[in-house]
Amino acid sequence: MSTRRVAITGLGLVAPLGNSVDELCANLVAGRSGIRLLDIPQRDGLRSPIGASADFRGDAHFAAPRIRMLDRVSQMALVAAAQAVADANLKFGTENRDRCGVSVGSGMGGAESTDEGYHIIYAERSDRVKPYTVLASMTNAAASWIGIDYGITGPNLTYSTACSSGAVAVGEAARRIQSGDVDVMLAGGAEAPLTFGVLRAWEAMRTIASPDPRDPSASCRPFAGNRTGLVLGEGAAFVALEEWSHATGRGARIHAELTGYGLTTDTAHITRPTVAGQVGAMRAALKSAGLDHGAVDYVNAHGTATLQNDAVETAAIKEVFGARAFALPVSSTKSMHGHLLGAAGALEFVIAVASLERGIVPPTMHLVEHDPACDLDYVPNRARTGVNLNAVMSNSFAFGGTNAVLIAEAYDAQR
Amino acid sequence: MTTLETLQDILIDEFDLTRERVAPDAELAALGVDSLDLLELMFKIEDRYKLAIRDDVPNDLTTVRDVVHFIDRLLAAQSKSAGSGGADRHAAT
Repeated sequence: MSTRRVAITGLGLVAPLGNSVDELCANLVAGRSGIRLLDIPQRDGLRSPIGASADFRGDAHFAAPRIRMLDRVSQMALVAAAQAVADANLKFGTENRDRCGVSVGSGMGGAESTDEGYHIIYAERSDRVKPYTVLASMTNAAASWIGIDYGITGPNLTYSTACSSGAVAVGEAARRIQSGDVDVMLAGGAEAPLTFGVLRAWEAMRTIASPDPRDPSASCRPFAGNRTGLVLGEGAAFVALEEWSHATGRGARIHAELTGYGLTTDTAHITRPTVAGQVGAMRAALKSAGLDHGAVDYVNAHGTATLQNDAVETAAIKEVFGARAFALPVSSTKSMHGHLLGAAGALEFVIAVASLERGIVPPTMHLVEHDPACDLDYVPNRARTGVNLNAVMSNSFAFGGTNAVLIAEAYDAQR
Repeated sequence: MTTLETLQDILIDEFDLTRERVAPDAELAALGVDSLDLLELMFKIEDRYKLAIRDDVPNDLTTVRDVVHFIDRLLAAQSKSAGSGGADRHAAT
């Protein structure tokens, strides 16, 4: 492990269940779900018209001329990043800007702009494609706009590794600080996939949960015997990462230390996860943190609520943590905020850090029916508070095979 | 309503501008209207005047007056060739 330590000095998010860390945490502890029947055009054309939308309107944050250039994914990214910057009290005007960078994960970039452009061409049979379509839909637009807004002239990177994009963006940003290339990184993920075209494509893969007939908000049931699949969500989450002495030198408040990052790749199949790949990523993260597996107090699971993922992830956790796995709280907050795809890893890392700071363990909701293949302590249906946490792990496993695991540890000046 | 007034209304509406700022001599760049914005602006002009102009926007339109003159030239050309059907190009939308 490098001697350069990485402090987490800012957190920010736009997400289902909250547009601030405090609001989201309160809802997670209360076990509320942001999953609902979606109000989108052509909803009747979907078998599962459910999703977790953010309570977010771009026009509340940006003037009309700017909105034209910003897909929803960039709007949410800019607002979440601004929260993280404000929370960290960073002033890029006084920073050495080429020692600062931006790192964003996104699976689909500006999906709404892509969808709209195709609709104009193929459905309306018009040639009036908006001139900003390319710039709004390109996957790196969110990262670019953040760099432009703050004048950050160091690395500006976008990672697209499907469902682990956000975790990879945060982990790779930490690596850049550790290597000495930069002192500050704004890192996170953003996704806005709740359009008809994207939802229909996911449905076609047979991975989307069936709507719960009595309560749509209970449709995503990770680790449960009656789980039927994932539910898509939208949002953005960011962390401000800083080299330790840079943070302490300016008197910044440190939320936690990012100590572990592990990365492996499954090559068995484009969608099928492997126990070995997930085990490898968790062990690599522990090793980079210099931690024994016994030191981890909470795992925010990938926990998508697909049949495959939850059983494989459970087996992988048991292999990494041995007998202790059964006493280790493991929860999937996707049961409440849905699967934010390229933003998921960043949002869940922010939740893990916030849990560490607040001494809370958010629950896995809607976990009533038991699955023999899922036999860990998933913190079912009820949050735990007043818990002493020193190290938390956040798992992100992706279609395409990129497994990313992050570890944060409680603030310790002496480490 | 004159072409200038129509264009001014669109600029005020779409670019959050005041009427004082969109004087004929005002430069588009100073109003925050870049080349891509101008193309999108032309969609509104097309709708208003039933024109089909997207592929013909010259790249030397720098002031509000330049755009007004450009639209007026197109309107004059269109009235000469009325009945050719060109104006119905976007009827499907």
